[in-house]
Amino acid sequence: RLAEAANAGPVGGVERDASVRGDSPSASTHTPPRARAPRLSPGALPRAPGSTPCDQRPGILAPRPPSAPGAAPRAPHPRSGRSLLGAPPRPPARAGSRARRRRRRSGRRARPPAAARRTPVAVAACGAAHGPAAGLASPRAPAPRPPPRARAHAPLLFCQLTAPPPRPAAPAADQGSWCLCQLNGAADLEVSEADIISTVEFNHTGELLATGDKGGRVVIFQREPESKNAPHSQGEYDVYSTFQSHEPEFDYLKSLEIEEKINKIKWLPQQNAAHSLLSTNDKTIKLWKITERDKRPEGYNLKDEEGKLKDLSTVTSLQVPVLKPMDLMVEVSPRRIFANGHTYHINSISVNSDCETYMSADDLRINLWHLAITDRSFNIVDIKPANMEDLTEVITASEFHPHHCNLFVYSSSKGSLRLCDMRAAALCDKHSKLFEEPEDPSNRSFFSEIISSVSDVKFSHSGRYMLTRDYLTVKVWDLNMEARPIETYQVHDYLRSKLCSLYENDCIFDKFECAWNGSDSVIMTGAYNNFFRMFDRNTKRDVTLEASRESSKPRAVLKPRRVCVGGKRRRDDISVDSLDFTKKILHTAWHPAENIIAIAATNNLYIFQDKVNSEMH
Amino acid sequence: MEVQKEAQRIMTLSVWKMYHSRMQRGGLRLHRSLQLSLVMRSARELYLSAKVEALEPEVSLPPACPSDPRLHPPREVESTVETATADGEQPSPEPMDTQEAPTAEEIPAYSAPRPAKVSRKRRSSSLRDGGDAGLVPSKKARLEEKEEEEGLSSEVADRLQPPPAQAEGAFPNLARVLQRRFSGLLNCSPAAPPTAPPACEAKPACRPADSMLNVLVRTVVAF
Repeated sequence: RLAEAANAGPVGGVERDASVRGDSPSASTHTPPRARAPRLSPGALPRAPGSTPCDQRPGILAPRPPSAPGAAPRAPHPRSGRSLLGAPPRPPARAGSRARRRRRRSGRRARPPAAARRTPVAVAACGAAHGPAAGLASPRAPAPRPPPRARAHAPLLFCQLTAPPPRPAAPAADQGSWCLCQLNGAADLEVSEADIISTVEFNHTGELLATGDKGGRVVIFQREPESKNAPHSQGEYDVYSTFQSHEPEFDYLKSLEIEEKINKIKWLPQQNAAHSLLSTNDKTIKLWKITERDKRPEGYNLKDEEGKLKDLSTVTSLQVPVLKPMDLMVEVSPRRIFANGHTYHINSISVNSDCETYMSADDLRINLWHLAITDRSFNIVDIKPANMEDLTEVITASEFHPHHCNLFVYSSSKGSLRLCDMRAAALCDKHSKLFEEPEDPSNRSFFSEIISSVSDVKFSHSGRYMLTRDYLTVKVWDLNMEARPIETYQVHDYLRSKLCSLYENDCIFDKFECAWNGSDSVIMTGAYNNFFRMFDRNTKRDVTLEASRESSKPRAVLKPRRVCVGGKRRRDDISVDSLDFTKKILHTAWHPAENIIAIAATNNLYIFQDKVNSEMH
Repeated sequence: MEVQKEAQRIMTLSVWKMYHSRMQRGGLRLHRSLQLSLVMRSARELYLSAKVEALEPEVSLPPACPSDPRLHPPREVESTVETATADGEQPSPEPMDTQEAPTAEEIPAYSAPRPAKVSRKRRSSSLRDGGDAGLVPSKKARLEEKEEEEGLSSEVADRLQPPPAQAEGAFPNLARVLQRRFSGLLNCSPAAPPTAPPACEAKPACRPADSMLNVLVRTVVAF
């Protein structure tokens, strides 16, 4: 790769800068040195153009030359196929219509004639090298269209939820009756590292679900609207678009490779027909715009159907081009590229409720960006000590308040949360509130500091509470009480005695995420052995469920699992020692309005639905 | 003792992880390095505090202790790992070899002085690392002997130096130390997967010294 990148050096020495920053090619390429952000007086507006400190410039980033379009170096995305669940047995009387039904399903439902057939053609445009102008729908899509059916290892059948929901047998109603709705991903035992899902996010309506993986790809699923023909079937999430968001890059100045793994995806609130999302790797954030095109102008006077100029002698009359329907095409283009803002690795991004700004946090600094401005960002938090030897804590996650555009919170590796108000000062080093729980001295061990590090922080939808996840617990904090959390739930306390072995196999460094449901009554987080846990805040009940192929029959209600820690052992219990620590559920997401959850288990995406309690309460 | 062994094992593990994190894709992760250094610091503190505790009851150490090695110098095929050379330059404690040991015993150059009354006890207390904490001391000695005889260099003079008075002793300069240490680590198990650092631990090469710790921690932080 080094040789490749070196060869690519002279290419676009000027345009490289421009394209990396997302400016138009005609813009000046002279980059003014980024002076340290002036600490403005408290009266100054936070939007005053600051600039990122000059030591944040990590060096010239050379995007790797993208693979030539035409060459298809990447296998079809494993999650681009259909759901891999077996369909329920169909009533035999309708055997003849099976094929027809399947075909109709692949062509989407019957819709008004304008959008008859939707084909998820992925138009991938990795903008780093092509610049922002690229990304228009091109007939030669770099990513091959996912083969509709041919998966060597698993038959592609659809999860048809046509039967009425099963009567809840064992699980109590308040524990929910979660069924596997669909499963996307390869069943191979050997998982290539590039397919490991690294982030999952629903958009604000829950219609779209985006996943990012370690190979820098983003796959977007769209929920099928419920069909009138099958009133009992709930919408299934089908692949909507797949694109390569980030490529591996090489930082020449530091001789470091920059991973293309997608750390976070955040959706922007939808403001027009297009959808937008931010995706980030360790260093660069990109704003992608996802649009649909289902009409095509036809009937040009000077050009024919393929775009070639017509022979003028053949033009006998003039016509007005008309829009004709075409196969639905989903186009994804990089609209902005926010690069060179961070010296350390970006761990989180968060869109502000004002829909104009967002922040990105790395280990020591948080930057505030405007969505339309890519060549500068405003540094709002900087906890880098003057002497790096005095470093004691780093920022681990951050989020804007869902309603108050001036408030945000960031968590630290010491287990504390800091709520900052941007109205107080331009540089929010001084927190407005510090949420910290004094450590329990009885739990002190070698590894207390590691396991108290907060790996994820999420505001509740109401904005009153915050949810934090450290290694062994999830905690709910009330914004009005800084002394301690109002609720603490043990996720897998049985691991407390195994911290040393977990340190040896590096599992103690795993960063789990957490999620609220839409009504803020249930919280969810992942664990090992492909277990995930839900805690109902009202009933104080919790449940452990497993995301695995074997134990998930379609439409069968998930059975709660239990880890036994000695004492009475029930039949299906799993002992702590037989937990598989390579199967970890780090990323989960909950639909904002319904009881639908998306669970990322290594390279597989599970979508579960609670059909009994589909309304949240 | 268990505590000290455990602490040392964890320290070794941390250094190993830190070293290998440099070679990871994406470069050094600040958070990970910070966590590793925190663990190393607590392990070091635990180790030192345990050592201090052990030192206190042994203030009345009989002078027979340092004389043992002098009595039996020819018996010992003193073998230390090459990295111990660096550590050996620091004051090393009295040797573990006792009259019971027929063949060479490996002496970690930085075990704390132990009461000489019970030779077995001394041996076990001086023993560091070696992996299994559950082994009986005598078995452990034999285990380490085998490892010794796998062809490590020998140092005799180191044994005769007085035990370390405090953690901050004279220590070789940083570059040499690091070079030796990492070359020792490299020779240990270069192909060991990140999840199997015990392979490295088992080799005596990976034991940090008392005064080495300061150096290491500083190096690691400066990382």
